Amino acid sequence: MEIPYIVTPRKDTGLFNSKIAIWLFLASEVMLFGGFFSAYVFLRLGADYPWPERTLPVLPGLINTFVLIGSSVTVVFAWASLKMRQWRRFQIFMGITVFCALIFMVLKGVEYNVKFHHQALRLKDYTVIEGHLGYEKDEHNKPVLNHHGKEVEENLIYVQTSKLTFNTVRFHKPWIEELLTQAEHHKSSIKLAADIKAVTKEGQPAEVIAKEGEPLSIELLNKIQGVHLEARKHNGAMRTAALRSEWKTAKTANPDKKGWQLASNVNIDAAALAPRLLDEVSSVAFNVDPATRFDFKPRDIKEGDGSSVLRDDTVVEGKLLESPMVFHAVDAIDFQHLAMKAVEKGVDPMVAIENSWLIKNNPFAKEAWEWNKVQVAKIEKELLEKYGVDKKTGKPKREPTAKERYRVGWQDFVSKANGVDRDDAEIGIKEQFMGPDYHGREDKHTFAELSVPREQVGFAAKFTPAWNTYYAIYFTITGLHGLHVIGGALVLAYYLFFGKKMYLTNPEWLANRVEIGGLFWHFVDLVWIFVFPILYLM
Amino acid sequence: MANSPEEIKKAVRTYIFVGLILFIGTGITVAVATFPPFDVGIHGFDKWDCILGLTIATIKATLVGAIFMHLNHEKKAVYWLFGSGICAVISLAGLTALAMGDPIFDKFFYSGH
Repeated sequence: MEIPYIVTPRKDTGLFNSKIAIWLFLASEVMLFGGFFSAYVFLRLGADYPWPERTLPVLPGLINTFVLIGSSVTVVFAWASLKMRQWRRFQIFMGITVFCALIFMVLKGVEYNVKFHHQALRLKDYTVIEGHLGYEKDEHNKPVLNHHGKEVEENLIYVQTSKLTFNTVRFHKPWIEELLTQAEHHKSSIKLAADIKAVTKEGQPAEVIAKEGEPLSIELLNKIQGVHLEARKHNGAMRTAALRSEWKTAKTANPDKKGWQLASNVNIDAAALAPRLLDEVSSVAFNVDPATRFDFKPRDIKEGDGSSVLRDDTVVEGKLLESPMVFHAVDAIDFQHLAMKAVEKGVDPMVAIENSWLIKNNPFAKEAWEWNKVQVAKIEKELLEKYGVDKKTGKPKREPTAKERYRVGWQDFVSKANGVDRDDAEIGIKEQFMGPDYHGREDKHTFAELSVPREQVGFAAKFTPAWNTYYAIYFTITGLHGLHVIGGALVLAYYLFFGKKMYLTNPEWLANRVEIGGLFWHFVDLVWIFVFPILYLM
Repeated sequence: MANSPEEIKKAVRTYIFVGLILFIGTGITVAVATFPPFDVGIHGFDKWDCILGLTIATIKATLVGAIFMHLNHEKKAVYWLFGSGICAVISLAGLTALAMGDPIFDKFFYSGH
């Protein structure tokens, strides 16, 4: 079947069909991205924490902007080449366009990767620490590997465990495997604390399902789970049947009454039903012998003194050991949130900072903070000399920003280590993309190690959507935009690599197709034109 | 929209020119945001930086739309389609903005009246 109006325009619209289609699609795309930009505005206006201004590395974003603008020019050149029936020129320009898309995504991948490995921590007093965590080492100073063979960050909760009680429905198999691996490593055993007895058949006596001392295994838990679920199914059916019977009796006795009038009188005779029910085994306890230190990820456990609970409802009984969060390299100390909270309470932010846990307990942080105060004083002096004092208020017309005043970033640490002023640090090109070069700067003691006791930890996350709403909207918008780049590049690459046949048979059709693909590509560029200043520069 | 080879050749020069403006506009935005001597308004980021940044972005977006996407001489149907999308965004965002004035805790109900 011949598709109409793919080369010649329709008389009523004056456009070929695919053009109408792409503009309809772009109109919906405007609404989609418009919605996210609106969300950004509302999240920023409603943020209850200092919004991270100009926090992303500008250079990769700038290069990506140039790359997208360049590709917008080349894609329109590619279309023009087709219109002029110059296949070779079309190939060159379209090739450059697709290559630009590749560069864009590689840079975006680098940017994301850096974020996924960068740790943020908010202390309970609202001091924010940024950096990279160290890795767990065994007694021979060798890296500890988890059951996936990956190194384990020094951010674990340690419990000297004597007893584990599993929820037989919710237990998470990978965690059981992890516990077994850890127990094997520590040469301890996890064995059933007591016989599991249950009535598994109606009217029969209770039978032993599992014997005391049986070792923990997935198979054993599955077996107990099977008994539990079967009993629950049976008991549910029994209760439903009994209730139906009661309702039937009540309805027969009171035909003129409505359901809601009878409801309070309809009850199951629990005593009569009890002998017919099976035993549900909703939890099962295991002893750990000898009591062993098990390590848990902070996000998996709600720690408590004596008894902690995992997200799958496993109860871990035992003494909570010291579980500090260890930064191998701290690359930023941020007191903006603490200062904001201090102002809300009517406390002088500087006093609050001086009394913060970090300044009181870490000499390096104190030293960095003192250095920062000198730098802020220099900025204040410069601004005063340049702009003077407001005659009405008697205050300086220009003052350092909250970020300058309360944040010591990684470039500041570099400046401090090299004995130069703020912003005068020599930053390599690689560092502009990847962040601070810890290994290269190690000899200058630029970045400090820091051990944070667990009781000081307020909230910790990598720089992912979990950290705050800024990163949530950043990943949403840039992620969605990145998907558009991939989609657009695939379509354009298809024309580049498989368009020759169509070019030879119907070049105008191919030109129209490239125009449509190009329109989408320009839209992707158009969105980035707003994304870049909003997320990277504001 | 350019269709004949002559028209297209002429349009290519416009595309290059617009491309250059887009590069320059980006450069200005970054300079204003990152180099203190170019900073507008008060020291650091403020509403004037925001206004300037978004104005340049809007000009750049308009150029992309008008020249690269040929919106400067398109058919009416396209204007209606794309325009309706933009209007929908503005009006829906505007409707949401009305809620910004709503108090989370209404004093009337919490004051014992």
